[in-house]
Amino acid sequence: MATLKIENLTKVYPNGVKALDNVSIEISNGMFGLLGPNGAGKSSLMRTLATLQEADSGTAFLNDIDILNNPLELRKVLGYLPQEFGVYPKITAEQLLDHIAILKGITNSKERKELVNYLLQKVNLYEQRGKSVKGFSGGMKQRVGIAQALIGSPQLIIVDEPTAGLDPGERNRFHNLLADVGQEVVIILSTHIVDDVRELCSNMAIMNKGQIVYNGTPSNVLQELKGKVWQKSIARNQVEEYQKNYQVISDKMVAGNPLIHVLSESNPGNGFEQVEPNLEDVFFTKINN
Amino acid sequence: MFKEFFIKEITTALKRPMIYIFLLIITLMVFGAVVSDNIVIGGTIGNVYKNAPHVITNYAAILSIFGLMIATAFFNNAALRDYENEFNEILFSTPIKKSVYFFGRFFGALVLSTIPLLGVFIGFWLGSIIGPAAGWLDAERIGPFYAASFINNYLLFILPNMFFAGAIIFAMANKWKSTVISFVGTLIIIIGYIVSGTLLSDIENEVIGALTDTFGIRAYSIDSKYFTPIEKNTISVGFNGLLLYNRLIWSAIGILILLVSYFAFSFKEKQKKAKAEKIQPKTFTQFSLPTVSFSFNTSSQFTFFFSFLKINLLSILKSTTFKILFVFSAIILIANLQGGFEYFGLQSYPITYNMIDVISGVSAIFVIIILVFFSGELIWRDRASHINEVIDATPHFSMTSLLSKVVSLVVVTSLINLFLIIISIFYQLFSGYTNLEIGLYTMDFIYNSLPKYITWSLILIFIQVAINNKYLGYFISIIFLFLLDIVFLMLEIETNMIKVGATPSMTYSDMNEFGPALTGVLWFHAYWFLFGLLFLFLAGLFWIRGVAGDFKNRLQSAKKHLSAKYIAMISVVFIAWLGVGSVVYYNTQILNKYKTSKELEKLQADYEKTYKKYENITLPKITDATYIIDIYPESRDVKAYIGIRLKNKSTEPIDSLHFTIDRKWNQKIHIKNAELVLNDEKFDYLIYKLNKPLMPNENLNLVVQSSYITNGFENEVSDLIIAENGTFFNNYNILPNLGYSEGMELSDKHTRKKYDLAEKKRMPELENPCGSNCMKNYLTNGTADWVNVETFISTSDNQLAIAPGSLLKEWKENGRNYYHYKSDHPSQNFYSFMSAEYQVARKKWNGIDIEVYYDKKHPYNIDMMLDAIEKSLDYFTKNFGPYYHKQARIIEFPRYSSFAQAFPGTMPYSESLGFITNLEDAEKNNVIDAIIAHEMGHQWWAHQVIGATMQGSTMLSESFAEYSSLMVMKKSVNDPIKMKNFLKYDMSRYLRGRSSEVEKELPLYKVENQGHIHYGKGSIIMYALQDFIGEQKVNAALKGFLEEYRYKEPPYPTSLDFLKHLEPQVPDSLKYLITDWFKEITLYDFRLKEASYKKQNNKYEVTLNVDAYKLKADTIGNETKVKLNDWVDIGVYADKDEKKLIYKQRVKFDKENLSFTFSTDSLPVKAAIDPLQILIERVYSDNTKSLEEKK
Repeated sequence: MATLKIENLTKVYPNGVKALDNVSIEISNGMFGLLGPNGAGKSSLMRTLATLQEADSGTAFLNDIDILNNPLELRKVLGYLPQEFGVYPKITAEQLLDHIAILKGITNSKERKELVNYLLQKVNLYEQRGKSVKGFSGGMKQRVGIAQALIGSPQLIIVDEPTAGLDPGERNRFHNLLADVGQEVVIILSTHIVDDVRELCSNMAIMNKGQIVYNGTPSNVLQELKGKVWQKSIARNQVEEYQKNYQVISDKMVAGNPLIHVLSESNPGNGFEQVEPNLEDVFFTKINN
Repeated sequence: MFKEFFIKEITTALKRPMIYIFLLIITLMVFGAVVSDNIVIGGTIGNVYKNAPHVITNYAAILSIFGLMIATAFFNNAALRDYENEFNEILFSTPIKKSVYFFGRFFGALVLSTIPLLGVFIGFWLGSIIGPAAGWLDAERIGPFYAASFINNYLLFILPNMFFAGAIIFAMANKWKSTVISFVGTLIIIIGYIVSGTLLSDIENEVIGALTDTFGIRAYSIDSKYFTPIEKNTISVGFNGLLLYNRLIWSAIGILILLVSYFAFSFKEKQKKAKAEKIQPKTFTQFSLPTVSFSFNTSSQFTFFFSFLKINLLSILKSTTFKILFVFSAIILIANLQGGFEYFGLQSYPITYNMIDVISGVSAIFVIIILVFFSGELIWRDRASHINEVIDATPHFSMTSLLSKVVSLVVVTSLINLFLIIISIFYQLFSGYTNLEIGLYTMDFIYNSLPKYITWSLILIFIQVAINNKYLGYFISIIFLFLLDIVFLMLEIETNMIKVGATPSMTYSDMNEFGPALTGVLWFHAYWFLFGLLFLFLAGLFWIRGVAGDFKNRLQSAKKHLSAKYIAMISVVFIAWLGVGSVVYYNTQILNKYKTSKELEKLQADYEKTYKKYENITLPKITDATYIIDIYPESRDVKAYIGIRLKNKSTEPIDSLHFTIDRKWNQKIHIKNAELVLNDEKFDYLIYKLNKPLMPNENLNLVVQSSYITNGFENEVSDLIIAENGTFFNNYNILPNLGYSEGMELSDKHTRKKYDLAEKKRMPELENPCGSNCMKNYLTNGTADWVNVETFISTSDNQLAIAPGSLLKEWKENGRNYYHYKSDHPSQNFYSFMSAEYQVARKKWNGIDIEVYYDKKHPYNIDMMLDAIEKSLDYFTKNFGPYYHKQARIIEFPRYSSFAQAFPGTMPYSESLGFITNLEDAEKNNVIDAIIAHEMGHQWWAHQVIGATMQGSTMLSESFAEYSSLMVMKKSVNDPIKMKNFLKYDMSRYLRGRSSEVEKELPLYKVENQGHIHYGKGSIIMYALQDFIGEQKVNAALKGFLEEYRYKEPPYPTSLDFLKHLEPQVPDSLKYLITDWFKEITLYDFRLKEASYKKQNNKYEVTLNVDAYKLKADTIGNETKVKLNDWVDIGVYADKDEKKLIYKQRVKFDKENLSFTFSTDSLPVKAAIDPLQILIERVYSDNTKSLEEKK
């Protein structure tokens, strides 16, 4: 049973931008989804938790490890996949994973080899293990990244945009992997892809402008919006007019015409029909408030 | 459209600071060099102005090498900017023309990269205005500016060099789209330049060297090598000579490269290769990681370290940059080995110390490139590869990672060094040299290279971490490695304790191995290593894990890392560093306090001001000396007691004695019945008042106690004359100087001016009739005439000690070797004392012992040396007169100096000079014969007859010794063409020497102890003289002169006294030679305009059309044509290589255009004016021509 407890975490950049604005949150075992638009402070939060960035104030504890003041202890139990995961030139997948495994404290070479091989098989790269990673496609590189984040037995796994660049099959495999691992440890999954959160996460938070604007379970938040989301397919030149008259959550193109979602306590009429709220609706509702 | 790209390229760059920074740096460099006396590039000396056209050209040319870095920046940027901004696909889909884009960018970058180099001109201009105004510089050292200096230098060096370099860099950047590869292109250009430089080492192939130099620097230096000061001051570089050919060649190559690159250039992007992935059956099995154990203790940090090291090394060793550097280091090494260690066209054996010297020269460049480049790479690689966040978030100590980077740099640089050693060993083996001395290679690496690599790696890693900007880091690193030295030079800081990585300099000698510097070197290495380590600990604190914050954040994170353990470790290193530093400080600054060159200069000036008044007081002269010398080689100590007998040879009583003593030798003087009335400890000047004046012809005895004691180690080893093996000092080292020492005076006129001292004459003027100056000779300067010497000398039991004269007795006592020597004939008061582990080769010749004392590692040429002495004795005794010593000794000494020197009966000879020269090829010049015969010649010329302290006197010893040596050689090779090939070097020595004359050039009979005149010109003129009037006649003149003055008490002869003996030997028709060659500076200029032959019957009728001029030069090199009425040789060769001279005739040249016709029996191939090259001429190449057949 692991618990991550963040209190009053604040970080202001020299240019005055508040990346983290008094963030407090408690996360326990299982997958935790972190949603938010670009620049919301997700990455700042993740980096701070991964001991890669100093915070101005606040505390963060994983169980009894003081993350901010004792980074070395946290690093021993951390698995981290940054948003941009690159690789050294001229180094093979196997050499790279072996190196990272050593750095995570697996000094027994026999055990290490077994582990690396297992992971390579799990991410479907065993055949390519002797090739230079630099020549891999984006998806293959991402899988190396996933493999390295799982090395050791991390208590806290932080993954930033893990499924970007993966095809649907790979994405499923990865979800299965995370689900298997996530039973005993804290996994923070930062993403834009609302479906990822819906499929995987028991808990979630939405960040905007350095603040947590929602923290709870996906089902609770969907419950909040139940019966309040309405949709309508309109003509392209009507979008502005509808935005003026209704509380439009989102508009997206479906079969060549904008399909708009609006928020309304009661039936707005005018050809709108009620739909089941999805996480996207939640997302846009929360960040536009 | 072209204009738009061109203008845009320039205006964009003008809005950025980079170009101004470059411009400022170059301006400041040049400005500093103009106004500072401590920086000399480009030959500003003596009469050459600080801003002379010649100097400006040298700067413009040399700084265009620096300009390469600038060119790389601009051209690389021009080629890659759109790719790096990923704007290329957008841009190239617009309808712009390829040529417009390509050339617009190229020429824009070309203009940009020449702009910073304009700083050369700005620097000169500002320097010559501000320098004199601020009083940093004498106004008389600034000459006029010439517009041509600016325009021509721009057009001949700056523009073409940037164009050529730009073409290569632009082509490579377009082809490979990588900044790193562009830098490699720059390296290739630099390396090409260095390789072509190795061709220049011998005059035989200097033309190839000049044409292959991509920058044109060497072409210009050959064009201008015989420039006189006046020419340097007035002639701006022009569009002519080798330089013009060079510029045309390289510009053409540049255009070719540019065109090839243009046609290969395409807007279409190459398909990026990505490895295809095999689709595999997907199996969804339960994920369960194998169980593993974890360890996070100290030993696991070692495992981390090795894993880091492995990954670092893998990526460096596999990188293209490293491979290219590896290959190029090998090419440069081999080029250097091929062309290296030459002397008079001869190579020495590839002995290991020569290999080490070459390796250290080559590796120095590559090690610096590698350290700077890969320190940045290692620090930035994680971030550049976007893997930094993963690695940073693993539980390793920052120090572990940083240390692995340091060790990686050390391993890589060591690998380069090892690789160069292996190549050198192969080179030795291929040359048939099998004494490989692996131990020496290893120890040299450990003593000289490895510690430096470690220190530099530590510091450079720190710089990259602290600066936290890769390119700024490179910049700071380069400043640190290069500019700091220049700054220290300017500030006249001499201690090695603040020049990071510096140690005392150390030269390996086969005789004395690493020598006395070693202890100091090791202490300094320890000092710098600990210093570097300290900085690594600092780097560990500030090393960014994750995202770089501002400075406050970095401090915050540093504080977090600063655990008690960390503090303890830093403290230990700091205390160790302080400890070692104290030892070094105590030894180099307290125990062996030294004076900086500035302090020394001031001391010299003050000494002159205080005591010059005593220069001409009457003092007694030394007549007898008895030395008791104990040498302790193992501790580098010498103790001596010297009994001196003085005689008043003047006509007046002497009431006091003056001495200048040498503190280093702790000299103490004991005189009975005298009182010390002045003891000036600042200048070490002593005056004793005699209780009873010394009357004319009376004698006085005194005893001098002198000891050299080595204590600890020094900042720079001051005296290499006392060595563990190979001690070599002379009487002047151990004896105090009698009276005021004129040798202490400053000589450079600008330095003298700084201290308000009047200009100093190099030599008193030649007088006739001769007054008081003829009462002293230039060797002992009035302190003695002919002296008897007896020596009791001892040394350790494995060494042999040598003093002047015959060995009367040798014995062992207290485990030491003792020797008793006594001179056989009164001689010059100038002799050496030596001790080393010697092998001795002996030979007898007419009752004279010929002996060579040599080190056991150098047995190659010993028999030849014995022969050379014998040949010399044979020729000289027959032609000049008897030899007055019972022995003739050659004694090897360590290569700290590279000369041979003649003392009476004894000739110390440096180990680097002839003992290791490869003389197996009989076709080549025999340098050993030449040098030995020269030193043997001195046994007559200098040791039997010596000139007065006056202009022209060195002709009587040095030129005559050269002549003697040439005659021995002439007799043994019996081939005028071989003599010509040897004399070429003397010709070049003279012409080059006069080109860097600091004051004024004087004719031979007034030479002021200048090598290029008394050796170089003296050789040519004496050789030509015997060719014109006959060897016997010259010898007769010499012999007559010798007989008149041999071992005579003063007055000493002058060059005029010799000319008195020469004149009767010269026929009237050739009397003009004495004036032209001895008394004036005469140069010839011959040109063979046309050469043809006609076959008639069995004969060949040759016709030559000749232009001829005779020039007289004044003291600063202004030449005036004079009427020609001279005898000159013309001749033809039967071969192109000018080896078989089939016809030679001395003919009268009496006007400027001449025509000659003569016939030969065999086919003439090449014709020549002055085929033996015995007349002094600046350009000889136009004297020869292949003959054309006329029907």
